[in-house]
Amino acid sequence: MRLATRRRFTAAGILGGPLAWTLVFMFVPYAIMFTYSFYTRQFPTMVPDFQFGNYLALFADPQYYQVLLRTIKIAVLVTIAAVALAYPLAYFLVFKVASARLRTALYVAVIVPLWVSYLLRAYTWKTILGSEGVLNSFLVWTGILDQPTDLFLYNQFAMVLTLTYIFVPFCVMPIYASLEKIPASLKEASKDLGVGPFRTFLAVTLPLSVPGILAGATFTFSLTMGDFVAPFLVGGADGALIATVVQSQFGTALNWPLGSALSMVMLFIVLTIITLSDRLERAGRLDLG
Amino acid sequence: MTITLRKALAVLAAGASIGALAGAAHAEGQLNLLTWEGYADASFVAPFEAASGCKVTATYVGSNDDFVPKLVAGGGVYDLISPSIDTAPVTVAAGYIDPIDTSKIQGLEGLYELFRSSPGLTTDGQLWGVPWTWGSIPFMYRTDMITEEPTSIAALWDPKYAGKVSLWDDKSAIYVAARLNGDTNIYALDDAQLEAAKQKLIEQKPLIRKYWGTAGELVNLFASGEVWISNTWGGYQSAELTDQGIPVKEFIPAENAEGWMDSWQIVKGTPNTDCAYAWLNYSLTPEAQCGVSAITGYSVANEASAKACMTPERFAALHQDDANYINSLILWQTPDRLEVYTNTWNAVKAAQ
Repeated sequence: MRLATRRRFTAAGILGGPLAWTLVFMFVPYAIMFTYSFYTRQFPTMVPDFQFGNYLALFADPQYYQVLLRTIKIAVLVTIAAVALAYPLAYFLVFKVASARLRTALYVAVIVPLWVSYLLRAYTWKTILGSEGVLNSFLVWTGILDQPTDLFLYNQFAMVLTLTYIFVPFCVMPIYASLEKIPASLKEASKDLGVGPFRTFLAVTLPLSVPGILAGATFTFSLTMGDFVAPFLVGGADGALIATVVQSQFGTALNWPLGSALSMVMLFIVLTIITLSDRLERAGRLDLG
Repeated sequence: MTITLRKALAVLAAGASIGALAGAAHAEGQLNLLTWEGYADASFVAPFEAASGCKVTATYVGSNDDFVPKLVAGGGVYDLISPSIDTAPVTVAAGYIDPIDTSKIQGLEGLYELFRSSPGLTTDGQLWGVPWTWGSIPFMYRTDMITEEPTSIAALWDPKYAGKVSLWDDKSAIYVAARLNGDTNIYALDDAQLEAAKQKLIEQKPLIRKYWGTAGELVNLFASGEVWISNTWGGYQSAELTDQGIPVKEFIPAENAEGWMDSWQIVKGTPNTDCAYAWLNYSLTPEAQCGVSAITGYSVANEASAKACMTPERFAALHQDDANYINSLILWQTPDRLEVYTNTWNAVKAAQ
């Protein structure tokens, strides 16, 4: 066999696996979902069709766009909170912890919760935030509250808190990586030019860590958009998120075409966010030369 | 602490003995149930497994609206399902159910005539399910938190109990709101009545702590003090809470309560027909009927078995002496426009 042919076979072998995998487990399901979104519901399932009624319903019936807007609101809040918490933590780990060993240990401590079941971690918040939970008991014990409050659990606050806790590690990782890559010489140069630490941070460190922030924020936003565990466990009467509605369309409501259309809209939003963040990151890179 | 430890040990021991039983049983077949919590309790399932050699696996639903979607999505997974009387005709109409071969079942004549000939279960002279249990959907409250006994559904709209109210996450929430609005035709509501029920439920949302999805969830909500008043599966959750030392009481409001009756249906094309019929036969026995009643607190469908295994007091308390009691409740029916009801309930949950 000629070398070129053999190379081509090797390349096909290496690329073929992942390609087939992506095709079977990504493109085909999405294509099926896309097709379903034009079908017509007919009890108990649906009939093939090509009509836009499902998409129209999403915009005509307030229940869908209301939930969509609520989901985007929650996702934005969680993203802001997660980045706000993750950035100082990553900064502290990279620049303030002198011992490399301690830094690794602390970094691992941030990542370790990811190995514990998501469901379990979300459930833990119930025992903390409940009317007779740890937080309420503590506040009543210290005399800050006369009696336990209902304000902590089964509302949007509880969802934002739980999701922020869950996604902080996803933010810490890319921010940590981007901060770690900043050469010490840049900060030294800034110092030599007589610039104070705060302005050095604003002019040197922050802009160079934007790719990390964007990556973390994109992760958090996209994952929050698709979450249905938090509303189920800690959300209240006003806690339905878009994934909850998709689930119910494929479940009790038995309207697969509408559920598919809703999934397509979600997919579109998330892909738009990913594309935008990718563009922003590239633009940032160019600016800094 | 000692109590917790003892409890933990007891659970471990129970687990071990169930494991031993399952191991001892010559696994000749298997039986997959799609059913309600409490309907596959080890107390009466283990003896069945030992006697029949059929290994029972149960998956639980939280609403009648879960049966058809599970059958649509997972063909060939479940052998028997136990929908209520409003959903049994729906599963049949959808084509997911095989008729019961009555020649393979002993003891059908012991069932209350009312249930055996229920129009929801019999069409074209064929039987589509074996009646199992029945009861009501009353309301339940914590007597230590709510001191004046509620008498009306309006209590669930009382701002006094803001943040302490719950409702079943099910289309039956519409039945509750419609009755409060004075609409008694709860299974045939017109658009205006449905809209009024929807507005009533949206008005209630700020008072709602959480809608409950499973029996266990409501028990936890009551036990942890999150919820003081809700509708409930009559007899079941209140007994579990009483066992935990939580003081609760059920009541049937002035607007009346819904009634229900559950039956076992055979999923079309099940390969485990022998085990399925073994279960159906077993379900009618005093052992199974009193077994499920002891766990759930529900009334049972087989009068003969109930008479054989219940004390006269319990027989009377569960209205087993007068099954017509169910007709004094508003017995569940398939709503004329099921899809509209489901959609209305989803709209309530989605509303701000």
